[in-house]
Amino acid sequence: MKPLIAFLIVVVIAMIGYNLFTFSVDETQKAALLQFGEIVRIIEDPGLHFKIPFIQAVTYLEDRVINYDIQPLDVYTADQKRLAIDNYAIWRVGDPQRFIESTGGRLNNAQGRIDEIVFSDLRNILAGHTLDEIVSEKRSDYLQQVTELSREKLADFGIVLIDVRIIRADLPTEIEQAVFERMRSERLRIAAQLRAEGEEQAREITSSADKEVEIILATALKDAERVRGEGDAQALEIYAEAYNQDPDFYRFWRTLESYQVALASDTQIVLSSDSDYLRFIESMFDK
Amino acid sequence: MSKFIDRLLDPDSRREEGQPQVNLRRLPSAIGWIAIILVIGIYLATGIYTIGPSEEGLVKRFGAYVGTVDPGLHYHLPAPFESVVAINILEVRKVEIGFRTVSPAPNARYQTVETEALMLTGDGNITHVEIAVQYRVKDATMLAFNLINSGEIVKQAAEATLREQVATRTLDETLTGLRDTIGIDVMTALQGFLDSYETGIAIDNVQLQTVKPPSEVVAAFDDVNSALQDKEKLINEASRYALDLVPRARGQAQEITNQAEAYKQTRILGSEGDVARFVEVLSKYELGPEVTRIRLYIETMEQILPSMDKIILSEQTDGLLKLLNLDTAGGGQ
Repeated sequence: MKPLIAFLIVVVIAMIGYNLFTFSVDETQKAALLQFGEIVRIIEDPGLHFKIPFIQAVTYLEDRVINYDIQPLDVYTADQKRLAIDNYAIWRVGDPQRFIESTGGRLNNAQGRIDEIVFSDLRNILAGHTLDEIVSEKRSDYLQQVTELSREKLADFGIVLIDVRIIRADLPTEIEQAVFERMRSERLRIAAQLRAEGEEQAREITSSADKEVEIILATALKDAERVRGEGDAQALEIYAEAYNQDPDFYRFWRTLESYQVALASDTQIVLSSDSDYLRFIESMFDK
Repeated sequence: MSKFIDRLLDPDSRREEGQPQVNLRRLPSAIGWIAIILVIGIYLATGIYTIGPSEEGLVKRFGAYVGTVDPGLHYHLPAPFESVVAINILEVRKVEIGFRTVSPAPNARYQTVETEALMLTGDGNITHVEIAVQYRVKDATMLAFNLINSGEIVKQAAEATLREQVATRTLDETLTGLRDTIGIDVMTALQGFLDSYETGIAIDNVQLQTVKPPSEVVAAFDDVNSALQDKEKLINEASRYALDLVPRARGQAQEITNQAEAYKQTRILGSEGDVARFVEVLSKYELGPEVTRIRLYIETMEQILPSMDKIILSEQTDGLLKLLNLDTAGGGQ
């Protein structure tokens, strides 16, 4: 029985001793050892640490990066436009002593401080710039200024401000509607322009086709007249060449030919009896 | 049974086998020891743990990180001495901005979150962008010991980065050719921020899901598209008209040309024909011009006179007295 009881006593003493004289600090934490409310030791290294029981108490602090979504706030820009800005701050506990002294080691208190300081710095910096500048690529520079200003102030609270960024910068509803209206009219203008351009090109195409057609036909007619002329000229040349061999005979021949056409039937003709052809009739009467 | 246990626990019992009453007296102590060994065994067994195939185990001793273990069955000293944090380092996690997946694939359904999706562009317009960010753990100790909520920090940083990037672009750039660069630029900038926060997170990719004009002005943007179509249509119709007209005109021109050519050839051939007859006759005429002339003359008279009304006036009858109507005279006979 005795060894069993002895063993159990040892175990219990070890457990009580562990709880009274030591404490462990996690990788995600820092700790401060307080003696009658006063900080006597800051523990930044995780692991097992010793304390004096009953006299000293441990306060644990968050040692991880905290992303704090700051409440959206209204900011007036240099050109008197209102922006609803939703931003976040990335921070962590830097100096545990100062942090505990100024916030009592409570995250809520710390975030209240961050709210106030980042609010005012953001408001001050953005008030110096126009809306266009704020929504442009210069935004990163402004945020850098805010971060640096606030970081300096928050260092007094043992807070390390890592970064401040704007999650969202929304225009007030009435300005948003104005923007939509402008976008709409701009698109309608573009649409009208596109349609007009279509008309322009279409007319250009059709009219140039019409022009081409007229030119093609006129050219063809011109060439046709020339060709006809050539035909006439060549015919003339052929006639002239042949008939010039004996113009006298041609006159005779052609006249006779034309009689056959020109003096058609049912023509009344008065012939003199001493004409070449009827000469012999006269002589017949004479006999 | 109890004897066996007794012997096992107490080596002296073998020597004192003849005194069973001694064994009986020791029995409660034996049960106590068995209970303690059981408790110690169970306590020690709580240190057995497994690390999944995609996980890394971070071992802490009194809260301080002492080492990393690979997947498999492992043992650590039980609480309060050691503990283990298992971190899935292969899992690809996802953050959605501007939309939420209501039900996953297949039959995926998504819901748009307008307040997240609408953002200002560099030229003072508003655009609608939805992105999905996929990320992984690249440093398990950083993630485990430095972050409280990794999803939230990635989401906030991604949203801020996306807005900063869109603000450097014009509306048209976000909607057309340059839109794909948004994803790449967001990824680069976001990785930079997350590294500066010492998060131990690696961004795998940033996927641009939807980029479109805000729903309030979508009709006007659609009208631009339909205007573009109208423009194409007008041009196509005009081209069709031109393509229909010009070849026809060319055909017509060819027709005119051909007709002219035909006229020309007809004239030439006709004249050649006319001339050929004359030339033939002329060649024979030269054999006896006088006789041929007379013959041609008389032949012609023969051809033309029969069908004509003829009045012959004689020189010697002094005027019209000796008028002779040959037809009437002929008819009277």
